[in-house]
Amino acid sequence: MKSVVLVLMFLTGLFAKEAVLPTELTAWKSLSFISAAKSANELSDASLSLNHASLIGLHPTPKIQYVARPMNEGGTVSYGGIFQIDIKESGVYRVVLGNASWIDLIKDGKAALSVAHNGGPENSGIRKMVDYALEAGTYTLQLSAGADSTSALLVTKIK
Amino acid sequence: MKHTLRAILVASGLIAPLYAQSIQSDNQADKVKIELGRKLFYDADLSINGTMSCATCHEQRRAFTDGNKVHPGALDDPGKRNVPALANVGSYKNLTWAHNHLSGLAEQSLMPIRGTDPIEMGMSTHEEEIGKRLSQNECYRKMFTIAFSEEKGSINLSTVSRALESFEKTFISNDSLYDQKIKSNQPLPTKESEAGKKLFFGAAKCNSCHSAPLFSDDDFHQVQPQTQAANPLMKDNGLSDVTGNLKDKNAFRTPSLRNAALTSPYWHDGRAKTLSEAIRKHDLKMNQTLSDRDIAKLIAFIDTLSDISFVNNPKYTKPSKECPY
Ligand code: HEC
Ligand code: HEC
Repeated sequence: MKSVVLVLMFLTGLFAKEAVLPTELTAWKSLSFISAAKSANELSDASLSLNHASLIGLHPTPKIQYVARPMNEGGTVSYGGIFQIDIKESGVYRVVLGNASWIDLIKDGKAALSVAHNGGPENSGIRKMVDYALEAGTYTLQLSAGADSTSALLVTKIK
Repeated sequence: MKHTLRAILVASGLIAPLYAQSIQSDNQADKVKIELGRKLFYDADLSINGTMSCATCHEQRRAFTDGNKVHPGALDDPGKRNVPALANVGSYKNLTWAHNHLSGLAEQSLMPIRGTDPIEMGMSTHEEEIGKRLSQNECYRKMFTIAFSEEKGSINLSTVSRALESFEKTFISNDSLYDQKIKSNQPLPTKESEAGKKLFFGAAKCNSCHSAPLFSDDDFHQVQPQTQAANPLMKDNGLSDVTGNLKDKNAFRTPSLRNAALTSPYWHDGRAKTLSEAIRKHDLKMNQTLSDRDIAKLIAFIDTLSDISFVNNPKYTKPSKECPY
């Protein structure tokens, strides 16, 4: 119930003006709610699916035990969270985010290096897009140093 | 070890015990001030919403710049100037791109924390929040108590900024290839870089402003291209915005060229993407008439000013989460 209200609030805020999205980002418009994990053992409840945008609930930073120390750590008053995602084939993937949180994608304890950074199309509600060259496997996606308790997140394959 | 040395000195009557004691605790306080400054440099609680630390804009691996033209603030306010490198920042009398009466690094650190032109960390009118947030952390309480015993370990903007200053004063970069070869009295390893060095210190007169060893004369010059269209959102007249004196219009402090190969983009507004663009941009006949060959030589020389031991120095990295005290 609460999350439905949140979704509505978020969507009206996000799409107050109609944005023109490139085809690889059309999934951005259908959001479902998912709450971030606070630690590794909650990860099974925080799985993302490729090409499905999610409205995400984040946690106050002091409550989170990250799997690996984020590159940019938020202060005590910031928000973050942990997710996991299965990558079935190697390629270039784009993490699309509604706020400016720091993103770390981790597999086997190592953070993947980003290959490109971009802002989103105008009025899309997208604040940040970061591309990574990934191999197949299960990745932990960590968000840190975020300003808000909710945001929106999409992982999509671009190459 | 230190204690034994002190005991021997005291026992042999070389130094009076009280004096020895105070040296010991001063050294200890100074050491902790640096460690504290390092912790604070990486702490995003210095920003209004916990999203931004000093290191968000000043990344060690890029010689403490960030690779962006300008960097938006914690609340997404637009940035105004390009993030400068911090190598040897303790040696400057004039700080930032264009200011001539900041009392030092402590006062400078208040500009990102609570400045409003531009808004960076966004703490203006919320300054007391910093003390409140940091006081909740036991490690900070311990470290401030040791570092600022005369002030009873008070955690406020003044002690925070002085600790940051102590840490920043340790940013010393003097081990580039250029430095190593100067010390051993040898030429630079490639013909190109050696030719660039001759040009830099000779015919091209770069050294008259980018003076060794800082590769900055710590002074202000007007080298803005006449044709440059002003950025309508962010009016920036350089030094005259601080002094109110028309003759300082568009004057900026000479940036150091140490580690410049690692700090693109360039210019006070980040408008120059490459070193060659930056060199050509000066409104100086010399810079605008250099041949492409000469520019390539100068860049080969500037490359030798990169100090890899500085950008990899473990003393400047994000400190471990464990409290050292
Ligand atoms: C939003 C990005 C940003 C953040 C955060 C930031 N800085 Fe800076 N810093 C800059 C920019 C831009 C300048 C140049 C300012 C100017 O010239 O007006 C600068 C200048 C400086 C300088 C002067 C360097 C010189 O060569 O004179 C120092 C020292 C410095 N910053 C230290 C800090 C410290 C300490 C913090 C944390 C309290 C910090 N900065 C946070 C962007 C940032
Ligand atoms: C009259 C003094 C002066 C001379 C001579 C001079 N420069 Fe500069 N240089 C400056 C100033 C001032 C700036 C900063 C201008 C700005 O950002 O608005 C600058 C900026 C630069 C930058 C960009 C650095 C950065 O971090 O943004 C480079 C590179 C550079 N100069 C190289 C050279 C070279 C190479 C020469 C010799 C061919 C040279 N300069 C001659 C004063 C000078």
